[in-house]
Amino acid sequence: MLNTLLVAAAERLLNTALELDPSFATSLEKLQHQVLAVEIRDWQQTFALTYTGKSFMLFNNYQEQADCHISASIATLSELKDPSVLTRLIRQEALDLHGNLNVAQAYSQSFSNLDIDWPEQLSRYLGDAGAQQLMQHCQSVKSRSQQLSKVLKSTATELLQDELKVTIHPLEMAQFKAHTRELKQRTAQLEQRINQLLAR
Amino acid sequence: MKESQQKTTDFGYKTVAREEKASMVADVFHSVAAKYDIMNDLMSFGIHRLWKRQAIACSGVRKGHRVLDLAGGTGDLTAKFSQLVGDTGQVILGDINDSMLKVGRDKLRDLGLVSNIEYVQMNAEALPFPDNSIDVITIAFGLRNVTDKDAALRSMYRILKPGGRLLILEFSKTDSEALSKIYDFYSFNLLPTMGKLVANDSESYRYLAESIRMHPDQETLKSMMEDAGFEQTSYQNMTGGIVALHRGFKY
Repeated sequence: MLNTLLVAAAERLLNTALELDPSFATSLEKLQHQVLAVEIRDWQQTFALTYTGKSFMLFNNYQEQADCHISASIATLSELKDPSVLTRLIRQEALDLHGNLNVAQAYSQSFSNLDIDWPEQLSRYLGDAGAQQLMQHCQSVKSRSQQLSKVLKSTATELLQDELKVTIHPLEMAQFKAHTRELKQRTAQLEQRINQLLAR
Repeated sequence: MKESQQKTTDFGYKTVAREEKASMVADVFHSVAAKYDIMNDLMSFGIHRLWKRQAIACSGVRKGHRVLDLAGGTGDLTAKFSQLVGDTGQVILGDINDSMLKVGRDKLRDLGLVSNIEYVQMNAEALPFPDNSIDVITIAFGLRNVTDKDAALRSMYRILKPGGRLLILEFSKTDSEALSKIYDFYSFNLLPTMGKLVANDSESYRYLAESIRMHPDQETLKSMMEDAGFEQTSYQNMTGGIVALHRGFKY
């Protein structure tokens, strides 16, 4: 039941996004009544998404025939943003795909084009000037926090690598890897020699 | 002895003449129709929406389907089905009670759902449709109020298309003793009080609690579906078996 509750909440979010971006509905028009089922292997759950022309419907525990059925782990699904990896993932059996691939691609395209005009939406409550100021403030907070996290990251790296010497430098790691590879090759050569000697 | 051969039937914990049950149930629903939705939310703490979502996910309803939402009451399932079947499909909201149908019709019209919904007052025991004419039938929290459940199941089987399915969402029996005790206390003490406070009608809600206890358990209902001709019958318990979703196919 908890899963169903979470899926209901996700459906509500999707439908809110649909109201907030009018172009979202236009981009979904050709997908009306097409069902995309996604089986997440890590959770052994199948979710189905369909757009009815008015709203989204999202279901869990879906056992029906879908227009496009994708089965993969969460890690694989995140790789799917790049369409060129599709064939490789199918060959590696990391991804199972049945039905019409265009349905999955069209849904993915529509979601990536989702662009909610937040100042416009917020202006109803705060007025134009208020909404614009709030958005500018949010953007500056976002860029400042990104910069801060970059600085923190580099400081932490320096501290751990150079000052405290808790972790090794990437160059040291690369050198270690090269040494290991060489050792592996030598061991293989030695193994071959021993085999040859034994074979005599 | 088969249900249909008996002269009396249950009405909650009371035993009444078979011909009286329909009108007594009708009185209950005439009485609660106006406050039906708010009481559903209050009584189930909103969980009835999740039970219904699960039924829709299992229904397999697609564009172009003809769906019968039997005992559809105020149209919760119909609202979703209407969107799923699209312009080429049709949803029939059927209920024996005209007060419930009126409330359902007003609610769905307010939601802007008009083009593909029909409202028909009907008795589940003698459905007014030709053989093999419906793709999916759902009956949510309605079967326990039907006088002759066997006849109703046979009637549903008759009108389903081959490949069609029936979904029955209904209160059932929980197998957890602790949950059962809490549930009994809630049903017989709190529920009628809530009914009295919100809908000014404690008797109807006492009937609701009693009728749930008199309804066949999961396995009995499954075998009744099989007796009516349904195949691949199965059920899934929800909220510890307080509610069960039965599913059966016609081939």
